[in-house]
Amino acid sequence: MEGRMTSLEATMKASSTMASSMVRNADPDQQTLRSNSVEQFYFPRPGQSLPGIPPFFGPPSSSLYLPNDNEAKFGNQFESNPSQNTDWDPQAIVSNLTFLEQKIKQVKDIVQSMNNRENQVAGGSSELAAKQQLITADLTSIIIQLISTAGSLLPSMKNPLLSSNPAVRQLGNTLGSPMGFGMNANQRPSVDSKTDIPDTGKTSDYDELMNNLNTAQDERDELIKCPNPCGGEGSEPTPMEDHDVKESDDGGEGENLPPGSYVVLQLEKEEILAPHTHFCLICGKGFKRDANLRMHMRGHGDEYKTPAALAKPTKDSGADHAPVTRYSCPFVGCKRNKEHKKFQPLKTILCVKNHYKRSHCDKSYTCSRCNTKKFSVIADLKTHEKHCGRDKWLCSCGTTFSRKDKLFGHVALFQGHTPALPMEDVKVSEASEQPHDSEPMNEMARSMVYSFPSSSSDGISNLDMKMADDVRGYFSPLSFDPCFGALDDFTRPGFDISENPFSFLPSGSCSYGQQNGDS
Amino acid sequence: MSRQAQKLDSAAGDGAVGIGVLSLDLLGQVLHGLWEPRDRKACRLVSRAFERAEAAHRRALRVLRREPLPRLLRAFPALELLDLSACASLDDASLAAAVAGAGGGLAGLRSVCLARANGVGWRGLEALVAACPKLEAVDLSHCVSAGDREVAALAAAAGLRELRLDKCLAVTDMGLAKVVVGCPRLEKLSLKWCREISDIGIDLLAKKCPELRSLNISYLKVGNGSLRSISSLERLEELAMVCCSCIDDEGLELLSKGSDSLQSVDVSRCDHVTSEGLASLIDGRNFLQKLYAADCLHEIGQRFLSKLATLKETLTLLKLDGLEVSDSLLQAIGESCNKLVEIGLSKCSGVTDEGISSLVAQCSDLRTIDLTCCNLITNNALDSIADNCKMLECLRLESCSLINEKGLKRIATCCPNLKEIDLTDCGVDDAALEHLAKCSELRILKLGLCSSISDKGIAFISSKCGKLVELDLYRCNSITDDGLAALVNGCKRIKLLNLCYCNKITDTGLGHLGSLEELTNLELRCLFRITGIGISSVAIGCKSLIELDLKRCYSVDDAGLWALARYALNLRQLTISYCQVTGLGLCHLLSSLRCLQDIKMVHLSWVSIEGFELALRAACGRLKKLKMLCGLKTVLSPELLQMLQACGCRIRWVNKPLVYKD
Repeated sequence: MEGRMTSLEATMKASSTMASSMVRNADPDQQTLRSNSVEQFYFPRPGQSLPGIPPFFGPPSSSLYLPNDNEAKFGNQFESNPSQNTDWDPQAIVSNLTFLEQKIKQVKDIVQSMNNRENQVAGGSSELAAKQQLITADLTSIIIQLISTAGSLLPSMKNPLLSSNPAVRQLGNTLGSPMGFGMNANQRPSVDSKTDIPDTGKTSDYDELMNNLNTAQDERDELIKCPNPCGGEGSEPTPMEDHDVKESDDGGEGENLPPGSYVVLQLEKEEILAPHTHFCLICGKGFKRDANLRMHMRGHGDEYKTPAALAKPTKDSGADHAPVTRYSCPFVGCKRNKEHKKFQPLKTILCVKNHYKRSHCDKSYTCSRCNTKKFSVIADLKTHEKHCGRDKWLCSCGTTFSRKDKLFGHVALFQGHTPALPMEDVKVSEASEQPHDSEPMNEMARSMVYSFPSSSSDGISNLDMKMADDVRGYFSPLSFDPCFGALDDFTRPGFDISENPFSFLPSGSCSYGQQNGDS
Repeated sequence: MSRQAQKLDSAAGDGAVGIGVLSLDLLGQVLHGLWEPRDRKACRLVSRAFERAEAAHRRALRVLRREPLPRLLRAFPALELLDLSACASLDDASLAAAVAGAGGGLAGLRSVCLARANGVGWRGLEALVAACPKLEAVDLSHCVSAGDREVAALAAAAGLRELRLDKCLAVTDMGLAKVVVGCPRLEKLSLKWCREISDIGIDLLAKKCPELRSLNISYLKVGNGSLRSISSLERLEELAMVCCSCIDDEGLELLSKGSDSLQSVDVSRCDHVTSEGLASLIDGRNFLQKLYAADCLHEIGQRFLSKLATLKETLTLLKLDGLEVSDSLLQAIGESCNKLVEIGLSKCSGVTDEGISSLVAQCSDLRTIDLTCCNLITNNALDSIADNCKMLECLRLESCSLINEKGLKRIATCCPNLKEIDLTDCGVDDAALEHLAKCSELRILKLGLCSSISDKGIAFISSKCGKLVELDLYRCNSITDDGLAALVNGCKRIKLLNLCYCNKITDTGLGHLGSLEELTNLELRCLFRITGIGISSVAIGCKSLIELDLKRCYSVDDAGLWALARYALNLRQLTISYCQVTGLGLCHLLSSLRCLQDIKMVHLSWVSIEGFELALRAACGRLKKLKMLCGLKTVLSPELLQMLQACGCRIRWVNKPLVYKD
């Protein structure tokens, strides 16, 4: 009896203030008083409202973990940004860009007027040549302005803090590497001039233009700093090439260069994988710092020793012989390797870098969303991450779709195919719901065996009820675990209202009564 | 029926050999003729032969509790129809275990009803479907937690023909796609309230289930695109799209381009549908039989009327609830559709005696006339209905307060088949009931708010209408215990009885009610004279009681709950708000009633928090709906509330002051 009582007390502990209320309730003489006093129990009391919550009712650890993890990652990626961007001045960039805008408009107007003139008068005149010169000069200044604007961003990318973070380092590379592109863009026209053999007139025109450009470059000291005119134009290969097409629409853009019509450069794989941003136009060697590149350039000849000579690196090495440069992959057996029978050269150093990493390196960047897709080029990962998780529409055949209607169209088309329910979701929902659901609930249900006293020995009879029940009838339903169907065998013995009218009483007035009785 | 059973009883009594020699097949045939479960039970109890015969021949089974399910499935191997909708505390584990225990016993099962079986998830369904290769019909309606997983489990039943998913709130296009791919022979499908389903899902449905005959897309957020897809269904006969606000006339026009099979269309409460759209729909449909357009039309265009006339031969049902009508319109409808069997003009403004007489003059086949709230009509309208519609079975006249006993006399005299009449708030008196008593076929009689009806009127009804099944005496507060005594004297088949606010009724009256053995639903709201004694006699006598409303029966105390706990074993819904019960009674009640699934207990001022806590723990797992005072939300232990929710119980917290009224 004592043991039972203590366990009962334990159940009641949470609201011990109520301990005597049932006894009071049971007393019919206090009806009015009772209804008043019980009324207030409906409202939460500060002490009672929050009994200790068992740990498994807190948020499931898995769901807690995930957001935290993400947060940490985001934090890593972005926390150094404020310090990193200290040395670039938005105001300056804005004013630079405004200047560029105006300049481009000017040039556009001139070109348009030239175009009109050309339509009227077929033959080119000296006036036309003068205008062309003007345009080249303007374009050059635009390019320089652009480069210097973009260049102001570069140092910030080389923040030593970030070098420990491969992602950002790679980002820096990508931003920096268009230098290689710029070189390509600079050289492409001459490639075209070589390949388009029949169109000699145009070729010469073009050469002239290039020369003009180079002369114009002479006058600009800034160019020394950034020898690649098209430098900061863009970081993605495709738009870059489009741009090229537009610029060199006088020459075919086909890459079917006859073998031998270009110089093949093959960089060492260390060079390719090095996080360089400055490349030697002659040997392809890369450098982390432009100053080092300039020091290196001196080794290619005395002409690079003066700033003026540095400003026009291609001029002397020849509009006539070397400028078409293509690249070979250092991986022997690769189609992009010059030893290969059907060798297909790579156009730019960026192409080499991306090709080498994609084809011959480990895929070290894993998508943090799907944890399955891996990439060796960070830009590829970024592109993937934009779409990752969108392909959530999965067919039973394994095909994924980014849109539900596409999946349904597929399912409609193929007999027997059916949408696959995302398993992750199920797991997640199981992980998050089941804890509340079955397992702990069952556990809890098991533990909640009611601690009603199961005997009616005490004689408390302060309930004035006309209904009666035998002991078993009253107690058994309460002393079994309701969730587990123990009621099955609950038999109902004969029930007679007039018989043993008080035998049921002890039960509910229960412990309280017993307490009284025992004490 | 029970006479039949008695005869069989006596046959068994005379010589058990007599029945024992008959083959099981013959006995099965005999049992087949018995419709009432009570009679079958009687047979089963008197003879082992019958018991064996029933075990072998029983086709349908409705299980009320989880615990005997495995045993029952083993006992009746020939089951074809299994109804688990009322099975308390059914969950995955118990269903799977029962199905596994039945072995091959479920091989013949064709139809399973799991409506409102909230606890059943995909694991249980998977086990069920795997065990029942012949499964043809499944009802999952109102399993609000059922989602794609559950529906996908059903998709394994390749022979499925009927599926109801009403209010399976979590079902999306994906789940639907699983089903339509898995069950290509689907013929009837209800997706009512599956709000996640979109045009894409419906489109796939139309492509994959060409045999679909009946489709319900009510309350879905689908648009006209769905109707374009649906129009490709060659065999579609019934289409319900209640309250699809994205569907408009354009969609109906798309639908009209489909096949001619459509027989029934429901566009009720589709806000953007007009009579023009319906006209274009009818244009292609010369076989349309039923047209539900309740609460969606604002006016009827001439084109619609002319198209309606093309349905002269086929249209049997027309619902125009909430429309503003005129006499000429009703006349035109009457002339266009003279084969009408049912017309709904509920809450139509402008319905007059002239309109009704010109309508019914043409439509002599009318069996159901709904004139709810057409408060302009008088006895003249009833006269013309009585004169023209000899077949009338159902007449709804709620709030038609201008009618009186004279009109009803005509109806009662001329329409001997009348089965249902709604006279709520019509202010009729005993004289009217005297006339209505002539309708010996009457099943449903609604007399709510007719406070002048007295015991005398009830006595008239009771004397003739022995088939009465439903009687509504809401706020007929002149009725006393004597009226109830008279009622139970004649109307022994009553299943539904509403006595709310008939506050002259005392325990004596309830004592009379105790003889209504078939009573299932009893509402006794605000009968402050009744006590536990009266409840006891109801609980003891009305063995079929399923729903009981005792709200504001201030004198009902624990004694009543004890009796209910002991005798009302089938009780499923109970309202004891404001009753004078204590925690003790509540604990006992909730732990004893194993079918109880829905309990409303607001303002039980005598029950302590422990009382609630223990009572709810005792009933946890069985309860599906619970209504309590919101102050309890914070004082009940959170584990308990979470456990309740985990068992599929929805709790409604109310917050209102305790006011005693009578």
